[in-house]
Amino acid sequence: MEANANCASKSPCRVFEFLESSIGKKIMVAAAGILLCGFLVTHLAGNLLMYVGGEAFNRYAEALVSNPLLPLAEAGLVGLFLLHIVLSIRATLANRAARPEGYQVYKGKGARTPGSRTMAVTGILILAFVVIHVATLKYQVGGQKGPDLFAHVLGWFANPWYSIFYVLAVGGVGLHLSHGVQSALQTFGVNHPRYTPALRKAGLAFAILIFLGFASLPVYFGFIHKTADACCATMEGGSK
Amino acid sequence: MNITLKVWRQKNAAAPGALVEYTVSGVVPEMSFLEMLDTLNEQLIAKGEDPLAFDSDCREGICGMCNLMIDGQAHGPDKEATTCQLHMRRYKDGDVVTVEPFRAKGFPLVKDLVVDRSAFDRIQAAGGFVSTHTGGAGEANAILIPHDMAEKAMDAASCIGCGACVAACPNASAMLFVAAKVSQYALLPQGQPEREKRVLAMREAMDKEGFGHCTNEYECEAACPKGIKLSNIARLNREFLRATIVSE
Amino acid sequence: MKLESKVPSGPIEKSWDKHRFELKLVNPANKRKFKVLVVGTGLAGSAAAASCAELGYQVESFCVQDSARRAHSIAAQGGINAAKNYPNDGDSIWRLFYDTVKGGDFRAREANVYRLAQVSNSIIDQCVAQGVPFAREYGGTLSNRSFGGAQVSRTFYARGQTGQQLLLGAYSALMRQVGAGTVKLHTRREMLDLVVIDGVARGIIVRDLVTGKVERHWGDAVLLCTGGYGNVFYLSTNANSCNVTATWRAYKRGAAFANPCFTQIHPTCVPVSGDHQSKLTLMSESLRNDGRVWVPLKKGDKRKPQDIPEAERDYYLERKYPAFGNLVPRDIASRAAKQMTDDGRGVGNTGLSVYLDFADAIHRIGLDKVKEKYGNLFDMYHHITDENPYEQPMRIYPAVHYTMGGLWVDYNLMTTVPGLFCLGEANFSDHGANRLGASALMQGLADGYFVVPYTIGGYLTGNKLPKVTTDHQAFVEAETDVNARTKALLGAKGKKTPAAFHRDLGRVMWDNVGMGRNAKGLQSALSQIPEIRAEFWKNVTVTGEGSDFNQVLERAGRVADFLEFGELLAKDALVREESCGGHFREEHQTPDGEAKRDDEKFQHVAAWEYKGEGKAAERHTEPLTFENVHIAQRNYA
Repeated sequence: MEANANCASKSPCRVFEFLESSIGKKIMVAAAGILLCGFLVTHLAGNLLMYVGGEAFNRYAEALVSNPLLPLAEAGLVGLFLLHIVLSIRATLANRAARPEGYQVYKGKGARTPGSRTMAVTGILILAFVVIHVATLKYQVGGQKGPDLFAHVLGWFANPWYSIFYVLAVGGVGLHLSHGVQSALQTFGVNHPRYTPALRKAGLAFAILIFLGFASLPVYFGFIHKTADACCATMEGGSK
Repeated sequence: MNITLKVWRQKNAAAPGALVEYTVSGVVPEMSFLEMLDTLNEQLIAKGEDPLAFDSDCREGICGMCNLMIDGQAHGPDKEATTCQLHMRRYKDGDVVTVEPFRAKGFPLVKDLVVDRSAFDRIQAAGGFVSTHTGGAGEANAILIPHDMAEKAMDAASCIGCGACVAACPNASAMLFVAAKVSQYALLPQGQPEREKRVLAMREAMDKEGFGHCTNEYECEAACPKGIKLSNIARLNREFLRATIVSE
Repeated sequence: MKLESKVPSGPIEKSWDKHRFELKLVNPANKRKFKVLVVGTGLAGSAAAASCAELGYQVESFCVQDSARRAHSIAAQGGINAAKNYPNDGDSIWRLFYDTVKGGDFRAREANVYRLAQVSNSIIDQCVAQGVPFAREYGGTLSNRSFGGAQVSRTFYARGQTGQQLLLGAYSALMRQVGAGTVKLHTRREMLDLVVIDGVARGIIVRDLVTGKVERHWGDAVLLCTGGYGNVFYLSTNANSCNVTATWRAYKRGAAFANPCFTQIHPTCVPVSGDHQSKLTLMSESLRNDGRVWVPLKKGDKRKPQDIPEAERDYYLERKYPAFGNLVPRDIASRAAKQMTDDGRGVGNTGLSVYLDFADAIHRIGLDKVKEKYGNLFDMYHHITDENPYEQPMRIYPAVHYTMGGLWVDYNLMTTVPGLFCLGEANFSDHGANRLGASALMQGLADGYFVVPYTIGGYLTGNKLPKVTTDHQAFVEAETDVNARTKALLGAKGKKTPAAFHRDLGRVMWDNVGMGRNAKGLQSALSQIPEIRAEFWKNVTVTGEGSDFNQVLERAGRVADFLEFGELLAKDALVREESCGGHFREEHQTPDGEAKRDDEKFQHVAAWEYKGEGKAAERHTEPLTFENVHIAQRNYA
């Protein structure tokens, strides 16, 4: 009550209080998460151009890189990631502190899902993947260097270890989203007896589609449709 | 039948605690779980040993006093039932049952299975009311409340404040408890004048008590003996967001 | 001891208004100088504490549970009466007043009951304003139902959890004051003595149940809102912690105890299943609206209920009371059930239950409708007994439920100790010898919200109270007494647990002072109880220490008081040589087995005065006069 009274008319204070509050933190995590889902969709759409052909994919990549607004978008993206991660870590630490002495036996009543149980683990996996992914495919650390991004990607996919890691990581993304999407909706306060069951299913479907979309690329280009020049990819950096 | 219990024993908050094993004989299916513990206690007292301390009062599932974590489940395995409503016909001869207190920073341990849930009272005192003085009320039927709205408010209001939501939550979050109270008043016309103030104050009090964040694991709903719905938490989130934006 | 009811003169409709006007007011600036101690946080206690704090008094509130929200008012299911006459079925303040006096078998004080009926409407307004989610019609107005044999629909309800919702309303009002700093709440505190200085109640001694520390608290007035003593019977529908200790200690400090023999046995409870049983569960009386009560015509008929043909069933309530049928008042329904089981026609393994059958209701209004009306009760029954009431009749049996007796209070709700008030079930006042359904919630809230906030002001301004501190000799002595008692309990080091003594006492009480009482049984109880008590102090075992969280010690202290109180109850029942309401003396019945009052000799309140250890209590009487209600033999046939 007191903090409210002090804060009552100061808007920066209100924002700070919101971010510090348990509910506010979760709303921000959810908001960042949903925006990151938007990024995933556009990213996947771009990636799927690989099925159209190397030329289309490279043209898209070119256009993206040459867009002067890209650094801004990238900064925004990094900001979203950081917000999502930092607030999640803080919430997780607070949650650990909320039960200093744990149970000897903890079973629950079956409400938790594989996705909800593993949010922290999949989160860390995704973070590791993002770092490697950006390093290898954007900054071309390791692998075949050169302006032909398509060839570069195929080079990595030809490395079975890299491809397996890629599939596992996007599996982590799928699992993360299987809880994350519907959880975010609940956090925003979207819950209606008529729509929520459908929205939950839609969230799960979205997670599966994102997983299938991303995972199909290394599977297809790494194991099914191997091209001649992909065979020369080095192992370097592939299994970091 | 005989039941083997592994029960958390701890003399007080400062002393170390551990699971201690007991065998209770002469358990019959008609007994409630708490009556089985009574039986154990009678046996312990007769031997001059300190009996188990546990809370219970009405023993018909409405006062919210009983609160045991039974085999890792708040209030035991039954759905929408309190510990006192759990009967031994659920168990068979030779079963081993682990009994622990509700655990959360917001519920400090008092002794054995007894914890201090006064945090809920403080949250309530922060804003879980309609500010109306005795005697100042107008004619009851002057406030019209649609049947379904009253029912929904009643669904939320049926919370018994037992703390199972906190105990079952992997994060020891008290959101379902707070959501139930906020919802009851947010749904009713009587709650409107203090709608924003209430949710802001109750949220603040809740966080101050050291409860965890809601990560939508939904174990609270599964554990709630009164079937309080998750939609109330969604409403709490909405109300909080709304109050943050609109309140001056 | 003089029992002055202080009922205002003049027409009853004006009594309360006149009295309120005559009560002196406390200067608003002076209110915060007065401290009021409120013991108990049920409907009466929470309502009184919140209301007094709103007025500006310093309030300290005490409860035995871990939270004020858990008091046993919370378990009341059915509803709360008020004379709103919303259904337009002919209800009025006068009718509610009349029904309550008649229901109480003409053993209540007219003016108190009239006031109760008068403020009943304000209670509903107040609760609605607090956000209590009462049941509503589709148009948004409040719903009513007929309850407990009333011929009008005057009962307001919130599903089968009306007590819970009303209590949470009062609790929210209380917590609002706690948040505002005007009420200091002490949870897990048990009142163990009353401190009387110069004949005036000035404080209490409580034990902190967590630390075992004994504390002294002073006040300018003490309000006991500590509920009933039904647990003297061991098994009752009361919660575990319901006890007589606070009122019994007050009695021993000079407060007269009135009509202890007026206890209510509720007809529809889940029957006892075995010795392990720790409490009985009530099934709401509303079940009798649609359920039909019966037993087999033949004695010892062991057939399944489904196999007993219609012609071999005895729907005894419908047979004996054709006008009211299954809806006769509680005392009558309970006694009729006892007659059936005494006659060897009881059902179930123990033979101590009767059927409450919904087959006809299901046939008439459909399974869905029955489910909608009683679903939660059916589930509760199924849960406890493992028998499905949709498929076979419920088995029910009467159980101790409510106690009409309690500390004697005047019209101001003040006991015979000045400054000591008693509210709710803990006092004797408004229900006479039998309480009607949905009236307990009404009385608790009336006392707390709308009576005591006025009368306490009259007391505080009318008396010059000297300042006291907790160092006063009376506090020291009371604390010494409390400690000595604790020491005695811990020091007995015997072989038998407090619960075992409680069970022994309960058996004696139920067998001899239960539904049917006679001189022989009561005398037997009066000889057995002191024996159990003597054995208790020699052979009780209390583990642990006094300076610790010790539930055995708590139980032992309560059982010790029940062992004294039970004797007074039996004595009161023995002296009251008539049958009235819940008090049924087998020697006093009409030829067809109905209660027969003796208005000439017993149209009075009996109030017992404590005369000291080992001395017989003295019985005082307050005559009851009925100027507004026509006295008649209750007739529900």
